[in-house]
Amino acid sequence: MAMASDSGGARPDRRPGPNPRSRRGRAFAERCASVRRARPLLGTFVEIAARGEPVTLDAAVEAAFDAVAKVHDLMSFHDPASDVSRLNRDAAAEDVVVDAWTCAVIETAVDLYRRSNGAFDITVAPALQRLGLLPCFDALPAAEGRAACDTIALLPGHRVRFCDPATRIDLGGVAKGFAVDRAVEMLRAHGVARGLVNAGGDLAAFGDTAEPVYIRDPADPRRSIARIEIANEAVASSGGRFDPFGSPDPAACAVIDARTGAPVRTIAGVTVRAPHCILADALTKVVMIAGEAAADLLDDLGASAMLVFPGGDIRTSPTWRPYRAA
Amino acid sequence: MPGWMKWTAPAAAVVSLTSAAHAVQYLTIPEAQKLAFPSASQFVEMQAGRAWKAEAGGKVIGLFVFDHVIGKHLYIDYAVALDPAGRILRVEILQYRESYGGEVRQASWLAQFVGKTGASALTVEQDIRNISGATLSSHHVTEGVKRVLAAYGHGIR
Repeated sequence: MAMASDSGGARPDRRPGPNPRSRRGRAFAERCASVRRARPLLGTFVEIAARGEPVTLDAAVEAAFDAVAKVHDLMSFHDPASDVSRLNRDAAAEDVVVDAWTCAVIETAVDLYRRSNGAFDITVAPALQRLGLLPCFDALPAAEGRAACDTIALLPGHRVRFCDPATRIDLGGVAKGFAVDRAVEMLRAHGVARGLVNAGGDLAAFGDTAEPVYIRDPADPRRSIARIEIANEAVASSGGRFDPFGSPDPAACAVIDARTGAPVRTIAGVTVRAPHCILADALTKVVMIAGEAAADLLDDLGASAMLVFPGGDIRTSPTWRPYRAA
Repeated sequence: MPGWMKWTAPAAAVVSLTSAAHAVQYLTIPEAQKLAFPSASQFVEMQAGRAWKAEAGGKVIGLFVFDHVIGKHLYIDYAVALDPAGRILRVEILQYRESYGGEVRQASWLAQFVGKTGASALTVEQDIRNISGATLSSHHVTEGVKRVLAAYGHGIR
């Protein structure tokens, strides 16, 4: 929780580089440059904006995109060579060695499964396949024999084993958030003073300036329902998918309650603020499924949420703050 | 613990996300070429406005292909950098424009963005909106990249 500690410190100016009020600091600020780039990754557009020393900026952004591309390669459900595909193919028969990042994501996912009483569940893959939201590579396990996260064994040496042949995982509900966290980490490691990483609406910002974020109306993606400000934290949203290429109308909900195998219909959209993007991303699914009952879990994890109901009613969790605390 | 609160959007917060300002120019073609092939000494046009050979020291070090996808409300310019064997080095978005007024295909609407460079016309803080919400699919660009690969992925000599 390195980023969370930034908010409570006595020195608000923790960014790399000298104090902005000193002569050296002003010279640093004048030297700073900004870049903003976007690439198609993780099935969406990943945008990285960064401000810092011009000499290191391009390399920093490149390293951040490399981290996102690595997550894409490891956790894609569609790529037969990914860690996720190897697990779904082989982990019921033998231990499968995966990358440390894949291990970390599964570990967080299993933890959230337990904390959310099964609302968040990466073994939702067969339900998504049945609805045509994920491709099928082989015969689907029977619906009634559904495996849950309890069947995933995390073993030493980044080995993973599924204790039930019906287990199939999809990391689509956390990988984007994890990728954003890794990209932010990479930018900071390269000395970037201020940055924002946005993976299709799952985003995180760091630095001494609050960044405005507009939240799309889940019923009408052309409109924004709220403007919030974030600083050294993450925001993620869930709800419909939407494709302005063909139509402005939001598509059907892609969040499935693994316990019923059916899409969520009681909530139109959810936005979660959290200290890290992997939490924000995963918690949007928990709130979509558990609704207002997720308040305690949000609070435990230092997160807050905005909930939009199909009729247009909006509710916010008790600690939701649209603007950065003074 | 207090319960959830009803929230009413202040009028100022409810804005249209899709004015002309919701167009982002990330890179111009020369900027993207330089970024993809930093060591290149020149870019030789093979196909007007579409494909360039990146050369360094008299040798071809790669291929740069510019393309766009255009839909009902979305226009995206992108570039694919390939190595001499035709393998993808990177895919970069150059421009993203989202609009719902039916003007995406009009030349006059597109023309207003010409000449804006990433560094000068748009700044991170003011003009560009960070948006969280329903996830945008990049499927069409992925399909476009496949077409580029089919046309140029055979390698160059």
